Amino acid sequence: MSIKIKEEKDIVVARQIVKDIAKRLGFSLADITKVSTAVSELARNIYRYAKEGFILVKEKKSGEEVEIEVVALDNGPGIEDIELALKSGYTTTRNSLGLGLSGVKKLMDSFYIESEKGVGTVVIASKRRRAF
Amino acid sequence: MMNRVVPTIKLYDYLIVPIQIELDDTTVEAMQEQILNEIDEKRIKGLIIDVSMVEIIDSYISYTLTETAAMAKMMGCNTVICGIQPTVALTLAQMGVKLKGVYFAMDLESALKILESIEE
Repeated sequence: MSIKIKEEKDIVVARQIVKDIAKRLGFSLADITKVSTAVSELARNIYRYAKEGFILVKEKKSGEEVEIEVVALDNGPGIEDIELALKSGYTTTRNSLGLGLSGVKKLMDSFYIESEKGVGTVVIASKRRRAF
Repeated sequence: MMNRVVPTIKLYDYLIVPIQIELDDTTVEAMQEQILNEIDEKRIKGLIIDVSMVEIIDSYISYTLTETAAMAKMMGCNTVICGIQPTVALTLAQMGVKLKGVYFAMDLESALKILESIEE
């Protein structure tokens, strides 16, 4: 599933789509909320900093294991200092708590980010379904 | 005419705002403006934002809620957020979001009690 992020309302669309997918895959209510919130943050980062990009959502299944992988991808300005960008409370814009990207890392099970100045940014984050 | 995005209920000196819509960024900003205008126009001393229907509160919505509370405070109005869903509380806590300058309550009744006790 690929969601184009270009307008502000696409942030809501992205989090709704992921919420539905997580629900269908049988994620717990807490994990549905975490994954959807993480996607909301990633989509907003695309809209704010890169103006446009994509959120890709993949369902991964192997045996009993079920996982949602979220890829956020843009050709925006890139992040100069990733370590700094991942620090809680750090932000380059006003109207922000600086907890978005670091929040995604905390909410998901795995988190990978690569960014190059002037080229773009890619974030890959995933969450496993837990038995509950 | 200001843009009204959320229904509000005036009760005594209080303004109750039940959020029952999906909060995109524009709506959150419009809601902030609407609330501040109503606090001014209706001489509101206590604001209750009921988020029990809200399933996702991300960092931007949190930011705007605390900013609204800070602005309301400057106008002499205290803010109580009530009915945060457990999964939302869990998510916000895990992200490290701290909603500062706001009182919290389980439900509307406790929110009203908190406002009454602050005024005494």
